[in-house]
Amino acid sequence: MPFRCYEPRPGEWIDRSRKLRFQFEGHSYTAHPGDTISSALLANGVSLLGRSFKYHRPRGVVSMANHDVNALFETGDDTNIRGDITPVQDGMELHPVNARGGLRKDRDRYLDWFGRFMPVGFYYKAFHRPRSLFPFFERMIRERAGLGRVNMQWSARRRPKRYGHCDVMVVGGGPAGMSAVLEAAAQGLEVILADENPVLGGSLGYQWGGDADARQWLGQLLEEVDAHPRITVMTSSVVLGYYEDHWLPVATPDGIVKVRSRGVVVAAGLLEQPAVFRNNDRPGVMLVSGAQRLLERFGIMPCREAVVLAANPEAYAAARQLQEAGVRIRGIAICGESGSDSEHARALTRAGVPLWPATTIHEVHGRNSVSGVSLIGTDGGSSPVDRIDCDGVLVSTGWAPAAHLLYQAGGRLRYDDTLEMQVPSEWPETVVPAGRLNGAFTLQQQRDDAREAVRCLTAAMEGETGYRARSLFRDSVAHGAAWPVSRHPRGRNFVDLDEDLQLKDLEQAAREGFDNVELLKRYSTVGMGPSQGKHSNVNAIRVLARYMGQGMDATGTTTARPMYHPVRLEDLAGRRFRPRRLSPLHDRHQQLGAEFMEAGEWLRVAHYGGTREPEAAIADEVQAVRNALGVIDVSTLGKIEVFGPDAARLLEGSYTMRMGNLRSGMTRYGLIVDESGVIEDDGVVARLAEDHFYLSATSGHAAATYRMLRRHALEWGLDVHVVNRTGQMGAVNLAGPESRRVLESLVDTPLHEEAFPNLGVREARIGEARVRLLRVGFVGELAYEIHAPASVMGTIWDSLMAAGSESGIRPFGVEAQRILRLEKGHIIVGQDTDGLTTPFNTGMPWSVHLKKPFFRGRPALAHLKGRESQQLVGFALPADSPLPRECHLVIEDGEIAGRVTSVAASPILGHPIGLAMVDRALAERGDPLQIRIDEGRMVSAWRMTTPFYDPEGRRQFAGYPDSSEESHQ
Amino acid sequence: MSLHLLKLGLKGTDDEPRFFPQPGELKSHYDVVIIGGGGHGLACAYYLARDHGIRNVAVLEQGYLGGGNTGRNTTIVRSNYLTPEGVRFYDASLRLFQDLSEDLDINLFYSTRGHYTLAHSDDAMRTMRWRAEVNRHQGVESHVVDRDYVTQAIPGLDPDCGGSQPVMGALYHAPGAVARHDAVAWGYGRAAAARGVELHQKTRVTGIQQSGGRVRGVTTDRGTIECDSVISMVAGSTPIITDMVGLPTPIEIFPLQACVTEPVKPFLNTIVVSGSLHLYLSQSSRGELVMGAAVDPFVLHSTRSTFGFVEGLADNIVDLMPFTSRLRVVRQWAGMSDLTPDFAPIMGTTPLSGFYLDAGWGTWGFKATPISGKTMAETVATGRNHELIEPFRYSRFRDFELVGEKGAASVGH
Amino acid sequence: MKIIDCPVIGPRPAAEFTYGGAVGAPPVEDPTPDQLAEHVFYRAGAPGVLREWWYHRPTGRWFVLERNTATNDILRTVEPEEVAYAIPML
Repeated sequence: MPFRCYEPRPGEWIDRSRKLRFQFEGHSYTAHPGDTISSALLANGVSLLGRSFKYHRPRGVVSMANHDVNALFETGDDTNIRGDITPVQDGMELHPVNARGGLRKDRDRYLDWFGRFMPVGFYYKAFHRPRSLFPFFERMIRERAGLGRVNMQWSARRRPKRYGHCDVMVVGGGPAGMSAVLEAAAQGLEVILADENPVLGGSLGYQWGGDADARQWLGQLLEEVDAHPRITVMTSSVVLGYYEDHWLPVATPDGIVKVRSRGVVVAAGLLEQPAVFRNNDRPGVMLVSGAQRLLERFGIMPCREAVVLAANPEAYAAARQLQEAGVRIRGIAICGESGSDSEHARALTRAGVPLWPATTIHEVHGRNSVSGVSLIGTDGGSSPVDRIDCDGVLVSTGWAPAAHLLYQAGGRLRYDDTLEMQVPSEWPETVVPAGRLNGAFTLQQQRDDAREAVRCLTAAMEGETGYRARSLFRDSVAHGAAWPVSRHPRGRNFVDLDEDLQLKDLEQAAREGFDNVELLKRYSTVGMGPSQGKHSNVNAIRVLARYMGQGMDATGTTTARPMYHPVRLEDLAGRRFRPRRLSPLHDRHQQLGAEFMEAGEWLRVAHYGGTREPEAAIADEVQAVRNALGVIDVSTLGKIEVFGPDAARLLEGSYTMRMGNLRSGMTRYGLIVDESGVIEDDGVVARLAEDHFYLSATSGHAAATYRMLRRHALEWGLDVHVVNRTGQMGAVNLAGPESRRVLESLVDTPLHEEAFPNLGVREARIGEARVRLLRVGFVGELAYEIHAPASVMGTIWDSLMAAGSESGIRPFGVEAQRILRLEKGHIIVGQDTDGLTTPFNTGMPWSVHLKKPFFRGRPALAHLKGRESQQLVGFALPADSPLPRECHLVIEDGEIAGRVTSVAASPILGHPIGLAMVDRALAERGDPLQIRIDEGRMVSAWRMTTPFYDPEGRRQFAGYPDSSEESHQ
Repeated sequence: MSLHLLKLGLKGTDDEPRFFPQPGELKSHYDVVIIGGGGHGLACAYYLARDHGIRNVAVLEQGYLGGGNTGRNTTIVRSNYLTPEGVRFYDASLRLFQDLSEDLDINLFYSTRGHYTLAHSDDAMRTMRWRAEVNRHQGVESHVVDRDYVTQAIPGLDPDCGGSQPVMGALYHAPGAVARHDAVAWGYGRAAAARGVELHQKTRVTGIQQSGGRVRGVTTDRGTIECDSVISMVAGSTPIITDMVGLPTPIEIFPLQACVTEPVKPFLNTIVVSGSLHLYLSQSSRGELVMGAAVDPFVLHSTRSTFGFVEGLADNIVDLMPFTSRLRVVRQWAGMSDLTPDFAPIMGTTPLSGFYLDAGWGTWGFKATPISGKTMAETVATGRNHELIEPFRYSRFRDFELVGEKGAASVGH
Repeated sequence: MKIIDCPVIGPRPAAEFTYGGAVGAPPVEDPTPDQLAEHVFYRAGAPGVLREWWYHRPTGRWFVLERNTATNDILRTVEPEEVAYAIPML
C-alpha cells in the first residue's frame, strides 16, 4: 500500500504547505500542488488506477513517465488523461476510462477469465460467418474497444502557435542535457532546452536522489542554466518530433512552439523496460525508476515491503535509496548479474537484505494489489526461496533509448551486447545523441559525452565534416538482462500493457508466419497502443529474435514515428486563420442589402435581394441590364499588366489566339489552355501600347495565370515584366443600353462609336481618378468596364449611381450575370468545362490559331482538332417545363450521352435555356436532348443555337454599325 | 462467441496453421512473376491460381507483405466515382469486398458505414450531383443530400464549419465501407500460398530481362529467374520498375500522409470526406480516428512525415467537428502514391510482350485491391485486357483518350 | 518544415513555394503521337536528381533547382538561361 512519507524529500515537486481537493469516482481526496493525478491517488492509498484495454485487468502505476496508459482518466472536459504526468487540479472530478460501474467492480472484468478465447488475432478468425451477424459483433467489439468517451458539446480552445529560433536545441534536461546546454552556451551559441517534466534535472532528480554529491551537482547545474543569458528553458514541454531541416514542434502548456535550430542534441534519456513474468501488470508492480520518481518527486513510498528484480547496477542503488527512505527490501532476485558485486549490493547484504542469484520472478500474487511473489531459477529450475510476501515489486532489468527524434532525423540504432541495450549507431552530423541514450551511464560519462556531443555538433555546424559515430564514453557493464522474460504455464506475462499482449501471443503470431518485426507488430498490435511501444517494442523484438533464433539487429526494429507523446488536435490546429478578400466596394454592397457568396478566397455579391425572394430580385436585376442600366462589381477579376519589348511575344505564346497583331487601343478575348489542350482560363487582353498590355483573368484562376506568365517569361527567355495588380485595382462593369449616356457625363473622353469602338480600351478620368475603360461586356449589352485603383473605387461607384439614377441604374450580382451570360451562350470556365475540355469541345475552334507556329498547348490541339468526342450545345425548354439542374444527365438509348452544364430560366426569352456537353454524334444530329431530372423523370429539350439572345450581337453597339473585325465570335 | 474461438480457447493455439509457409529458395523458372507483395500483387496471385489454374507463380516483395501502401492507407472502400468506367470498376471491387471475408476465411472487418462527401460550394454541389446521377445510372447507391440531412446524420458536425466554407450538402454513398487493410493482404497471401503460389519477402528485383520484344526473366538480389510474364504491382516504386524495361509513363510519385488519434469509444459511424477542407476521416473498430488529407504538393520518393500536414488537418477537422479538439494524435505516417494525369490507373498489357502494368493508383489503390487482382489475373491468363480495365489501358495517353475522372477534381475546386 | 534557399531572398520555409514540376524540353515540330505523349504526359518518375521549377509566392519569383527526389536534398540553383528556349513566332 503506497503512502506519502512524513518527511519531505529534498528535491520534491509538491508544495506541502498547500492543499487542494479533488474527487475520484465520487470520493473526495486531498493533494498538494505539484502532485499528478496518479501521485495524488497513491498518496491517498488508492493504487488501483485503471482497467486494461482488452481483459479489463486491474492496473496501476508503472513508470510515472508518461507511458502509464492503463491509468487514464476523464473529466467533463477531457478524456484519456494520463494520470502519471497530468497535474491534479483543485476541484477536479475524475473518473476512470473504459470501466463500467466503477474500477473495482468493472462489469467487464470477467473478460480476463475469457482471455483464452481471445488469442492473438482472434478477431481475424471469427465473427465473419455468417456475414449477416458481423454487424452485431462489430458493434459489440467497437463498444468494448476504445478508451475514453468524447463529449459532443466540447468546443475547441484554439491558441496561437509561437515560433522559436536558436542555434542548438537540446532535448532533455537531465545531467547530459544540462551539461550540453551549458557547453553550447559557453561557445556563444543561443540554446533552447526543452524537457517534458515541470522541473529540470531528469535522472539526477530521482535516480541519483539518494546521492548527496549528485544533488549538489544538480543544484549547481540548475543555477548555471538559470543564470545564463543565452539559454532558454522550456519545461513541461514535449518535443513532438524531428522534421526536415531541424524543425522541432514543442507542445508546451501554452500551446505549440515551433522551433527552428541549426543543430540538435538529443539527450532524452532512457525509457525503463518492464520484465515479463506472470501478473507483471498488477498494481504494485512497477519499474524501479517509477518508484524513484514517486519517492523523490512526490514524497510517496511506493510500497512498504518490496521485492526487487535486478539485472543492472541501478537496481541496487535504487534498493538502497528506497530502503533508506523506509521501504523494507524483502530481497533482490538477480536475473542479470551486472551490479551484483557493486558497493550498493554489498551494503544491502550487510544490511541483511537477501540477494538471490540466478533467480527471477515466476508469478506475482494478489489481484487488485500485490500480496507476494513466487520466484524461480533463471534456468527454470528451483530458486533459493519459493514465495515471499510483499506489497510491491520493483523491476530494474533494462532500458531502451528515447531516441525517437534521432531516428526521425535519419539515425539508426544497434543492439549493444555489452550494455544489453540498443544504442545509436549512426546519426546526422547536426542531430547528435548525448548521455544515457548514447550509453553514457555514470555522471562523469554523461558530462563528458554531452560536452563531446556539443563539440562535434558545433564543428559540423561550422561545416567541418569529420563525422564519425561517437561512442567514447559508453559504459562497459551491462545495464539490462538479455532475456528479462519468465515463462509461465498460465501466461498473463505481459509484453505490452497497452494492448494486453502476453508472451504467448507474440510467439503465436510468429508461429503463424508473422515472423518479421513489422508483420508481428501489425498482426499482434504490439506497440500500437497509446504509448506507441515505449515499454513494449524492445521486449517484443527480444521475443521474436529468440523465436527466430537470430540476433536483435537481424530481427530489426520498428519505425519510431511522430508524435513522441500524443498531442491534442486543438493544439495542432492553433489559431484559426482564414484570410478573406473583400472588394473595395464591399461596404457599399452591404448597404444595398447584398447577399454574399464565397468565391474562393473572395466574397462576391450573389444578388441584392435583401429580404426579398432571391429569384424575383435576380430577375429584376437581369431586366435592368437588358432594358436600362446595371452595374456589377468585378473587382475580383485577375488584373495583370505586361510591359516590355517582348510583351507581345509572351502573350502570343500564352494564349491560343493571336495577340501580336492586336492594335493598340483594342482588346481581344483570350483563352489559355494547358499542355494537353484543356481550357484553363479566359479573359480579356487589352493592348495599351506596342509594348504594354493589360489583361484580366477569372477570379479563381488569377494567381495561376499570373504565375504561368511569369514562368513563361523566364522559360522563353523574354525581356518582359509581369505585374499582378489584382489587389491594387478595382473594377466595375457598367452594362445596358443607357451605359454610354451615363458614362459620358462622367468621363473626360469621348465615347461615341468612332472615338471608342466596341472592344476598345481607353485611359480616361472620372473626376480626379485616372481610370482605364474597356468596352467589353460578358452580358451582351453595350457595356464599359471601368478599372481604377482600389482607393478610388468607392467614389467612382457613387458617381455612377448618382449619374445613373435617372436611368434606373441597378447594381447586379453574380447570379444575374450567370443568366445574362448564358443568354449570350458564353461559357464559364470550370462550369461548362471540366478537366478534359478543349476549345474544340466548347465550339470555339475560332479561338485556336493553329497558324501560329507556337503557343502553349498547340501540339496537343493540332493533334486533337476534329477528334473531339463531345461538344457543348445549346438547348431550350418550354416555359412550363420542370427545370433540370446543372449536372443532370442527357440520356440516349438508355446510356449516358452527356450532362447539363448550365441551365436557367431566361427572363428575356420567357423559357428555360441551357448548355449541355453531349456526345458528338448526338450534337451533330441535332436531335432533342432527353434529360433525366430529379426523381428520374425525363424532359425533352429542343436544340437552340447560341447565342440564345441577340444572336447578331447588335445590342453591344446600341444601334451603331457592327465593327465585326475585332469581334471575337 | 464463435465456434472457432471456442476451439482455440479449449484446445489452445498450437495447431493453428501458418498464414504463410516458410519461404524456400527461388526456383529457376516461374510462369508468372509478380513484383510487389501488397494487396494487389497477392490478390492477383490468388486469382491466377484460383480462376486460371496458374500456380507456378512467385510474388517478390522487397520488404514485407502489405508493407507499402496496403498498410498505409485509410482503409476506405467506395464506388462513387464520376465516370461510368470508374464506377463500373470500383463497384465490381466493392462487390468482391463484400464477399471477401467469407471467400478468404478471414475477418476483414469489412464494415459498411455510409460515406459522405461534403460540399462547401456551388461548384462542389454540382460535382456531387454529377457523381450521384452517374452512380445511380450504374445502379450504385448515391444521393445528393442537403445540409440539414448531413447535420442529422453526422452528430457533432458544425455545418457552419467554424464560419467559413459552410457545408451546403453532401454526396451520400450508402455502400461506403472500411476494412482492415493488412488483413486483406494477409488473406489473399494465405489463400494464394495455399494454392501453391510462392511468396518471397525481402527479395528485391534489380532488373528485367527482355529479348525479341518480350520478357524473359527478372534478376533479384537473391538470384535470377526465368519467367514468361512479369506483372509490376508496386505503386510508389512503379517508375523504378518501368525504367528497367524502358517503358515511359506519366506516373509521378507524391507522398500521401495520414495520422490517427488515441482510441476512444465509438462516436462516428460514417466515413466523412471533404474535398474543400482536404480531409477524410473515419473511426476504426479499435476506436482511433483515422485521418488523411490531400497528397503532398511536390514529388518525393520518401515516407517521411511533415508537421505541416498534421497542423493543416487538425485545423480543418476542429472546424468541422469542434468536439474532436481534445482527441490526441498519437501517430502519423506516409505512403508514396503513384499519380497519373487523369487520376485513373494504368492497367493491363504494355508494348513489351509479357510485361503487364498495374499502377497509377494515386490514392485509390486499396479500394481496387480485389478487382485489380481479378482483372489483372484474367488479363495475364488471356493476354488481352479485361474489359473492365480497357479504359485504363497504357496506350490511352498516346491516344489522348484520357479518363474523365479528372473532371471531378477539376470541377470541384 | 523544409527550408528552400530562394536565390532571391534567401532561405524560406517550403510552405511559401509552389511546385512547378520538372523542367521540360521545347516541343518538337509536327510530333508523332509518341513524341506528343512524351511532351505532354510522360515524366521522369524514378527517384533521382531533377531540374524543377519552384515559385516563391510572396515575391512572385520562379527559379529552377536541382533536387534529389529520393532524399529531398537541394543540390544547386540553375540559371534560368540554362533551361530557357526560344519560341518561334509568326
